[in-house]
Amino acid sequence: MSQEMLVLLVNAFWETTYMVAISTIISIVLGVPLGVILVTTDKGHILENLSLNRVLGSIVNAARSTPFIILMVAIIPVTRLIVGTSIGTDAAIVPLSIAAIPFVGRIVEAALKEVDFGLVEAAQAMGASPREIITKVLIPEAMPSIVLGLTLTIISLIGYSAMAGAIGGGGLGDLAIRYGYQRFRADIMLATVVILIAQVQIVQSGGDYLARRLNKR
Amino acid sequence: MIKLSNIEKIYKGSNGLVPALNGVSLEIRQGEVFGIIGQSGAGKSTLIRCINMLERPTKGSVLVDNQDLTTLSESKLRAARKKIGMIFQHFNLLSSRTVFDNVAFPLELAGCSKAEIAKEVNHLLELVGLADKKDNYPAQLSGGQKQRVGIARALANHPKVLLCDEATSALDPQTTKSILKLLKDINQKLKLTIVLITHEMHVIKEICDRVAVIENGLIIEQGNVIEIFTKPQAATTREFISSIINHDLPEILAETKFSPTPLPDSNLVLRLSFFGHSAEEPVISSMIRRFNVDASILYGNIDHIQSTPFGTLIVELSGTQTNIQNALNYLQTRELGIEVIGYVARNARAAG
Repeated sequence: MSQEMLVLLVNAFWETTYMVAISTIISIVLGVPLGVILVTTDKGHILENLSLNRVLGSIVNAARSTPFIILMVAIIPVTRLIVGTSIGTDAAIVPLSIAAIPFVGRIVEAALKEVDFGLVEAAQAMGASPREIITKVLIPEAMPSIVLGLTLTIISLIGYSAMAGAIGGGGLGDLAIRYGYQRFRADIMLATVVILIAQVQIVQSGGDYLARRLNKR
Repeated sequence: MIKLSNIEKIYKGSNGLVPALNGVSLEIRQGEVFGIIGQSGAGKSTLIRCINMLERPTKGSVLVDNQDLTTLSESKLRAARKKIGMIFQHFNLLSSRTVFDNVAFPLELAGCSKAEIAKEVNHLLELVGLADKKDNYPAQLSGGQKQRVGIARALANHPKVLLCDEATSALDPQTTKSILKLLKDINQKLKLTIVLITHEMHVIKEICDRVAVIENGLIIEQGNVIEIFTKPQAATTREFISSIINHDLPEILAETKFSPTPLPDSNLVLRLSFFGHSAEEPVISSMIRRFNVDASILYGNIDHIQSTPFGTLIVELSGTQTNIQNALNYLQTRELGIEVIGYVARNARAAG
């Protein structure tokens, strides 16, 4: 494999990492509060608000049921509005984040629902405010599950980022399609697949390790 | 200290309204241990949750330390709750925090400084006997130790009242005993008012000063523990007490036919209950000597309710009818609970 190809691979690797990292951060920043709201506004919970809960729930479901490749194309105008272009790595971050936010929301919702409601009651009995219950009880208690869920999110995003390559998003997926598939470069195809597998492995092992460390149960 | 007036709680179930409390009024005095006993579904859990507004009563008022909790704003209610400790059947400790941090939790909520927290938590862990476990996580503790952490946590803000929601129901008998002893110690040391709910009469017997029996969302009987134990009125109360003290007739008498009035040549079967110093008086032997009757004991049970001795005897008196009547009159002048079970023909029972 030539020096040139190696540079291409390294660049593609960093592009993928960059897209995935930024969209993970955005999806955490927006998805965690979304998950918290989905849980706490549910019936009988600390901030019960059924209409808000239903509206958010339907939006999340709508976003989750749209296939990523369609979502990516459908929101091109939005992407243009935010990034200024619909092509390239930065542009790919928009659909990646929009797909990941409801995913993280549901994952956080599921994790928080696992927390025994008795703990919420105990905190209420101690005079904790809803905010304190969320930050000091629900999230810390659900942390191991949240970490595992975020691991899953990152791995999905690595997969999605390869799809983003198809519309010029850059990264390993883009490289694999343009060189590996369209130019019959089996070595490039193999190299990108190996790098993707390694990335997923590292993320999964890191997530598992962290979740185990956090789990005191 | 706590005054519940006419508490009603109605849940909206899927099949219409489900009443849980139907007008409960209770007064709990400063410094006492007050027990509420009832079967599952009787409403006791709802009732104790109404005291700190974890359940908001549909009707009625809840006065704790002269403050009506039903009228408070959310933030005032949170402040009031800091002065009402609570412990739970399943402990409800934060699994992600160490023992130390669990006890520190209410102090964090109260905005204490790190130094204050450390001082208070170490003192509390000392009090509940867990100073050596402060860096452990709840998962590494036994049930009894977890409940001790729960107690330390509930006491952190120096509450005036401690609510115990089935606090010993998930523990084995030995551990239950030690937790109850700890609660009693705290009650005496800190002059803390304790309200506990349970379905186990021995918990009431062990530490309560007064008790209320709840059934179908209503208080059906209440009073001093000794009174309730010796003279239970309601059928449910009797049932609870029979788990500790047998109020039913012993097996051997079950088949016997009793007559409410004296028959010629019959023996009298009585149930005597003793409590307090009457349990220490030699009533039976002086009766036998004075009235020339014979007494055979068919069933007996002597126990202590806290430090008060308490016993039940079923005796069969035989002798002339006059002597039996005199003996009965004599017994009625003593400080005893007497229940005439009936007259039975002599020789009707083989064991006589």
